[in-house]
Amino acid sequence: MTNETSGRTFWGRLVGWGPYHTLMRLATASPRRQFVILAAFPILWVLTQHLGPMLQMLRVSLTDAYPVAPGVEQHFTLENYARFFGDSIFWMPFFRTLAFAGVFTFCTLILTYPVAYFLARHVSRKNQMLFLLLLLIPFWVGEIVRTYAIMILLGNTGAVNLVLKWLGLIDRPIPFMYTSFSMGVGIVYLTALYMLLPLYSALEKLPQSMNEAAADLGAGAWTRFRRVSLPLTIEGISSGCTLVFLISTGFYATPVLLGGPSTTVFSETIAGFFHVAGDEWPTGAAFATIMFMAALVITATFQKLMNSLRKGESK
Amino acid sequence: MNDRPELFRGNRIFLSCIYWAFVLYVFVPLFLMILMGFKDSKFIGFPIRSWTLDWYTGVFADAEVISTFGYSLAIAVLSTLISVLVGTWIAVLLEGRKFLGRTAMFGMTVLPALVPGIISAIAFRIYARYLGIEPGMGAIVWAHAVHNVPFVVLVVMARLSTLPKSQIEAARDLGADPLVSFIRITLPYLVPAILGASIFCLLLSFDDFVRSFFLGGYEPTLPVLIFAKLRSGMSPEINAIATVALILTAAIGIWAERFTRRMNKES
Repeated sequence: MTNETSGRTFWGRLVGWGPYHTLMRLATASPRRQFVILAAFPILWVLTQHLGPMLQMLRVSLTDAYPVAPGVEQHFTLENYARFFGDSIFWMPFFRTLAFAGVFTFCTLILTYPVAYFLARHVSRKNQMLFLLLLLIPFWVGEIVRTYAIMILLGNTGAVNLVLKWLGLIDRPIPFMYTSFSMGVGIVYLTALYMLLPLYSALEKLPQSMNEAAADLGAGAWTRFRRVSLPLTIEGISSGCTLVFLISTGFYATPVLLGGPSTTVFSETIAGFFHVAGDEWPTGAAFATIMFMAALVITATFQKLMNSLRKGESK
Repeated sequence: MNDRPELFRGNRIFLSCIYWAFVLYVFVPLFLMILMGFKDSKFIGFPIRSWTLDWYTGVFADAEVISTFGYSLAIAVLSTLISVLVGTWIAVLLEGRKFLGRTAMFGMTVLPALVPGIISAIAFRIYARYLGIEPGMGAIVWAHAVHNVPFVVLVVMARLSTLPKSQIEAARDLGADPLVSFIRITLPYLVPAILGASIFCLLLSFDDFVRSFFLGGYEPTLPVLIFAKLRSGMSPEINAIATVALILTAAIGIWAERFTRRMNKES
């Protein structure tokens, strides 16, 4: 590195500078050492920061006291998990959450598929980004603000009731709020984008010629959809549904604000253990673990199912 | 893109109706929410008979609300800096390199983005206690930073995969060591992706409720403040606060979208 042109620049001088040169030669002595230097921090970070919280949650869920008071011994126990099955006040919200998440995911799919289809197939490529961007804008707005917007829409003196009354369809406002309906509208409203984007990218890859060929062979619109578009976009459907399902099970503020006593979801149950005195933490951790495991098993099964469906179609 | 539009015209009209109905569905609630902030009455509800700007002047005069904005913004900026630094590093390790345990490493990397909100918040709460981080700004910054890393990794990896290998090789031939070629070639190439990911992280952090709620101390972030106010009753004051937050986030989002698209076009 005594070359004149590189000697003039800062980087050239740095590379030529003795101590730096020695340091770099030591660091890059072998590909193995180079890799270790590059990989050490990311591996450490991922293990301690990404995996660590989940493992610690699991560990706490298996203990009888956390945080441990001075002078008290911590014991291993499965009590916290047993508690879940012992009382319907615990497992009812759990199954309700899974059922709600499933139904809301399906609603989101039905709602956004035609929108994604329109964007990918009927809008010129130049305008696609513009049309998509229009839908993205509201999704930059936070969860709480959008939940509040739904509260105003569906309230007893809200816009929907006002319009219905004005049309003469109802005399008294319909109590939409604090029901599973208002919660559904809110959650679908919050998750629609996570379904729309995977569907859009799957549909966009679909060659137009396939639909034309099907039409030439006499397939109607419904048949074309069922036999061509749907099987070829299973991947997008599967990843969109997985994402929306996982997100739906994790909402806390939206069910609190839009739901009522009859729609208590599991996240509210879990949160309850963390609002009171600290000694309930292990139970909260156990319940969160149950929720996470259930969500993982369900989405994994669903993805496997969709995969075998896709393979079956392509045969 | 349709070569034979006459074939699918009926579909097109039907589908475009659905699209515009969907646009109404996503915009109308927010529009009504904004409208309600100008109502000259304490009661949320239609019809609106007289209008006022008082709620807005009230918001800008409220020291608590203003400091909450600053607090949320500070958290967003700090957590984004950490996420971008760590996320870029992980992306450089994962992209185009084969090593034992790469799949496991990738799985662990995206884990925080897949854990449902409440569970992630609980896990962070427990881990913060374990590490001895007190609830408050530090804890929120840390949780947001960890949660946002996967998004940075995915965006940066996508960009990195399109970097022409020849450029790195040329730099190495000219005497640059791995570090210098990274700083001089790879990093400038990644700038659009890093900026895009930063804006995304900023918005995620600024809008996050569940982690801020469980890891926060006495000082609320903006979504936590709105939530607390909502629990004690709806009021046009909340609409005014929410509208200011909405305009802020939407403006950042639109600007970022245009900015990253321009940068992508240039390079």
